[in-house]
Amino acid sequence: MVFDAKATIGPVELEVIAGTVRSAELEIEAAVERTSRSPMIRDQHDYRVALFDARGRKLTGRSYSALVEPIFEYFGEENINEGDVFFWNDPYNSCGGIGHIPDLCTTIPIFYEKRLIGFSQVFGHHDDVGGAVPGSMPVKATDMWTEGLVVPPIKLYERGNINKAAYEIIARNSRLSEHLKGDIDAEIGAARLGLNRITEMAERYGVDALEAAFDMIIENCTRTIREELLPKIKDGVYHWEDYIECDGVEAPKLHAMRLTMTKTPDGILLDFSGTDPEAKGPINWPIDYADGKFARKWMAPVLRSLASSPDRAAEIDMNEGVLDVIDVKFPEKGTLVTPTFGKPTGLRFFILLRSLGIFAACLSKATGGQMPADHETIRIWGLHGGKNAEDFFLFREVLGGGGPGRPWADGSDVVHIVPNSRNLPAEFSEQRYPVQVEKLGLAIDSGGAGYRRGGFGYDKRIRLLEDARLLSNADRALLNTYGVNGGKAGKTYGIEIQHKSGNEETVPGMADNIEVSSGSIVHIVTTGGGGWGDALNRETGMVCYDVECGLVSLEAAKNQYGVVLKDTEKGYVVDEQKTQALRARLRNERGKLPMFDRGQYFNKISESEGIKWPDGWIDPDVDWDAETGVSEDEATAV
Amino acid sequence: MPLRIAIDTGGTFTDVVAINDQTGEQWAVKTPSTPDDPSIGLLTGMRKAADRAGFPESDINQLLHGSTTATNAVLEHKFEGLGLLVTHGFRHIIEIARQSVPDGYGNSYFWVKPPRLVPLHLVQEVPGRIDFQGKEIEPLDEDTLIKAAEKLVSRGVKCIGVCLLHSYANDEHEKRVGQILIDRFPDIFISLSSVVLPEYREYERAMTTLIDVMVKPYCKTYLRHAEDQLRAQAGDAPFLIMQSNGGVVSAEAAGQKPVTMLLSGPAAGVLGATYMSNLAGHKDVLTLDVGGTSTDVSLVEDLNPQLTTHSLIEHYPVKTPMLDIATVGTGGGSLAWIDDYGNLKVGPKSAGADPGPICYSRGGKKPTVTDAALVLGRLPNALVGGELALDIDGARSAFADLGSSFNISAEEAAAGVFEIAAANQVNGIRQVSVLKGRDPGLYALVAFGGAGGLFAAEVADFLNITTVLSPPNPGNLSAFGLHVSDIKRDYIRTIVRRQTSSNHAELLKVWSDLESLGREEISREGVEEKAIESHYSADMRYVGEGHEVPVKVPQGLSKEDAVLYIWDEFHNVHEKTFGFQYRDQQDVELVNLRVQAVGRAHRPEVSKINNTSDKLEIDSLRQVFWRDHGWLECPIYKRADFPTGYKVEGPAIFEEYGSTVVVPQKWLVFKDEFGNLILERIS
Repeated sequence: MVFDAKATIGPVELEVIAGTVRSAELEIEAAVERTSRSPMIRDQHDYRVALFDARGRKLTGRSYSALVEPIFEYFGEENINEGDVFFWNDPYNSCGGIGHIPDLCTTIPIFYEKRLIGFSQVFGHHDDVGGAVPGSMPVKATDMWTEGLVVPPIKLYERGNINKAAYEIIARNSRLSEHLKGDIDAEIGAARLGLNRITEMAERYGVDALEAAFDMIIENCTRTIREELLPKIKDGVYHWEDYIECDGVEAPKLHAMRLTMTKTPDGILLDFSGTDPEAKGPINWPIDYADGKFARKWMAPVLRSLASSPDRAAEIDMNEGVLDVIDVKFPEKGTLVTPTFGKPTGLRFFILLRSLGIFAACLSKATGGQMPADHETIRIWGLHGGKNAEDFFLFREVLGGGGPGRPWADGSDVVHIVPNSRNLPAEFSEQRYPVQVEKLGLAIDSGGAGYRRGGFGYDKRIRLLEDARLLSNADRALLNTYGVNGGKAGKTYGIEIQHKSGNEETVPGMADNIEVSSGSIVHIVTTGGGGWGDALNRETGMVCYDVECGLVSLEAAKNQYGVVLKDTEKGYVVDEQKTQALRARLRNERGKLPMFDRGQYFNKISESEGIKWPDGWIDPDVDWDAETGVSEDEATAV
Repeated sequence: MPLRIAIDTGGTFTDVVAINDQTGEQWAVKTPSTPDDPSIGLLTGMRKAADRAGFPESDINQLLHGSTTATNAVLEHKFEGLGLLVTHGFRHIIEIARQSVPDGYGNSYFWVKPPRLVPLHLVQEVPGRIDFQGKEIEPLDEDTLIKAAEKLVSRGVKCIGVCLLHSYANDEHEKRVGQILIDRFPDIFISLSSVVLPEYREYERAMTTLIDVMVKPYCKTYLRHAEDQLRAQAGDAPFLIMQSNGGVVSAEAAGQKPVTMLLSGPAAGVLGATYMSNLAGHKDVLTLDVGGTSTDVSLVEDLNPQLTTHSLIEHYPVKTPMLDIATVGTGGGSLAWIDDYGNLKVGPKSAGADPGPICYSRGGKKPTVTDAALVLGRLPNALVGGELALDIDGARSAFADLGSSFNISAEEAAAGVFEIAAANQVNGIRQVSVLKGRDPGLYALVAFGGAGGLFAAEVADFLNITTVLSPPNPGNLSAFGLHVSDIKRDYIRTIVRRQTSSNHAELLKVWSDLESLGREEISREGVEEKAIESHYSADMRYVGEGHEVPVKVPQGLSKEDAVLYIWDEFHNVHEKTFGFQYRDQQDVELVNLRVQAVGRAHRPEVSKINNTSDKLEIDSLRQVFWRDHGWLECPIYKRADFPTGYKVEGPAIFEEYGSTVVVPQKWLVFKDEFGNLILERIS
């Protein structure tokens, strides 16, 4: 890098400022967690923070964030003052940066010697912002107003003076108004830490050096993607689609999200044309604003999986620099990603995560299958009960699932995409709620089979010690997590109740107020990750070890992996001869291995009713075979 | 028998400080560490120190020992043969961990869960169930237990951790398991979770227990070696081991619960720093311990080093109370390098002790922070009292190369590397201060370790800190810190009770039980009954919160009053920690009761300096480079010559055996009667 091209910045200032921005991001996060009140923020870590430059370009790169554009759009640069605090949660007036109403976003401008030099921003998922149901995420919502109080971009503070009326109205509309006030104050306090850190750097090195460093921080991100990641993707046009199985309002049906990825030497265009119409229920995601900046920054981190190692991937910051590499195109108004004003968005996390999955799948096509398979998704299940208001309890868990199989490793077991999101210890649950955890384990055979198999989901059994009602807020209860490059789909999510009466009941993914009586057992299984690569190539010792540990059944070892095991006194041992014969037979029988496996439910629908594609769109799976490194000739020759 | 010897065993060197108990006179020596059997280096150090002091070994009346060897052994994955027994239904407990993925959003796509401490085939289930109130709901199935244990042993397991559900509430099943294992497999090492950490949260308790049993054979063996030989030389002089909670215990007690020794390496330095800053009149300080490969920082409030129960060793949680120390991968030996995109970086790669910095002429070819200090004129041309000549030309030419990549001079490159190193340390200090809601500008900075004095003022400038302390013999402060430690043990019991339905007598009983256990164990260390203090505290939260805050009971309050005190004080602590409270609005929940039993140890006198001369001779003049001012002629002083009560304005450099203190422009320095150099920023 030639530093004298930019006379205002040297390598030392750049390194110190970049390090300070990184450290400030951690400081703001710690302050949010320390001082906010909603458990969704404090314990489930559902919040994001960011620092931006004076033009609203994102500088921090560990996680995605909301945008600053609404401030420019609503107020104009001339109306941004020292001491202002901007505030909003309106999914249709936040330039796509805020996806659902519980996410309250706070932004403060940073000034140095009366000059605007940046912004510091925090948004978090608050426990209640009003609307039809406690928790502000009604499954049956058919419009945005059912979901809570909507605030377009406003100045909550103007030049240091609070807009008391707005503050009180916002608080009054929450069932937990004191919590909400505390959360807002916490967001502002945390954002101020970022302000302090940036002004200190301006003081030390001067504003010109600071701004030059910001340019370089952003440029470094662009260069990293260009030089390290893009060359691994073959130029061309690729398309793929995936589905949300239920919108909570209508009967289950496939709601397709479609993506056409065009890769050129300079960058990537993501085109969502062909995506299905907006849904009646709360699975819409309005992102067709501000040149799709939010979607571009949200999706870019998927590229990190192409880094030379997981450690390297974790180092790569994804900031505003991604915009130079990734462009986006949206269909006309009225689709899942371009919903018309006022459509409900509360459970938009399904489509949010699906977007990562379809991007990863397009990249799989363009890299000879070198991307991870499908990841687990966000799901919430819970029990609520109690005899009266005083006694009321809500036992709510955000349980993870299996991570994707990938070329470098099996999927990690029971992980969650939100960083640092933790499960509840059995010893905590039993103290707090009328339950007994009978089992907290990994679900056998849940990870999709593969050369590198998917991670396992949970297998959790809970005995109720009081009557309660059950809720479930999940997808992937019908459709599987997909497998890649010959890997098999992972198992689905599901809840079964073994009623005390002896009856068994299967609970749909989207459900609320299911009565469960004391003494019954609730059995939850979460999704396994998709498998990666040909399961028949998996090292036999690894299959044997999984069986020994009770993670893969003998039957799956045989049918999926073609491994025959002998049960000996010292545990299971591979019967190499029978295994070779079986693998040869299975290879012959199955023919070509497809690039993607979407699992049984999809295959059933596809065979019975068929998938209806829009004009000009063809089956994205057809003619895409796995690149397993074993040619057909070799396979049959064995 | 007046000689007390403290031995601080690091990865490369072992530092020893001997003190004459009667006169306060101190001697320091250094000897290579012997990680394979740390007892060898330890005893060599002991002998050398006694020699230097001129006493026979039979005159040693106390041996204190702190060590990083157990921690290093864990980090180097030296252990195998580990097995785990858990409650039926929970075999996957450590595979699941807490489901959390570190760092950024979506990292779970590529992040790989680190290998578990015990592979799954060596985890076995035991039927039997206790509920959270300690009631048995299913008896222990001893036949299945025996089969499970036999299976583990037949597969080569030598150390077994036992973690049964709710054993903190009732340890009968675990005790029974322990007894059966001892009877059947007398050679196997065993740790029970109800002994190691009777605290709720099964995953964390299991991990702490596993780490305890994992290091048991190693720690017990080397401590026993050392103790046997010590006994042969010095009779029954106490042999005390530093723990990560900042207290010492006898080698025997340490060997029984060795998890308390892990991560104890930097603890003694914090104690030494606290002790010396107290003498200097500073009660709230940040400690900056700059070593060869890394820097340890911590925060001390009202002379209390902060404790944490959220430590990690590598990827694994250890929930025993430890001093809250953050480590940054920047020290004197850290390398300056250019990444693939042309950015200048400092650390965490290090030249280590071998080959070391270029200027040590031991074969090091890559520029380090120490080389930068030499190029800048901050270091003399020879180190350690003139014994080690430094290769300034080699260092300079390396920085000339580095600078040429950026079109800057060798000294500009060196100054830049120095600034980046300081900025890295600043980010470490923010971890223990800003991240905990503390403003570092309100604290004094105590800098020690070989290179602490080189950086301290620059680090302070970043953080708006206006006072910096350099204690005497900063390179040996960790060994010195062992001398000012007390005997300490921590006891905990989980007892979840809401304020509205809690039973006063029940809580008193738990505290009393923990207290008697503490008194018994501390008096076994030879401490008189009346010299034992019990510090009560509780971990509490509002009902509905997922994490607790520690509420400390002030000394002097009876247990009876303490119970009332915690329910009230909790709201204040919550306010201070998180910035809000719900007094009279939300029910409070007690989670853990704790007792720290402390045996106050006799402390050596620090001899005062009696040099009030109003003259200070300049030892030499040297050109020193500063980023803001370029080359300036700078007076160099011998630290030992510096009289008390005399003030010098920077730029100035103070040199002594093993360390250098840099006083930049806009800083004043004086020495107090205890030998501390105190730097103050001129506003």
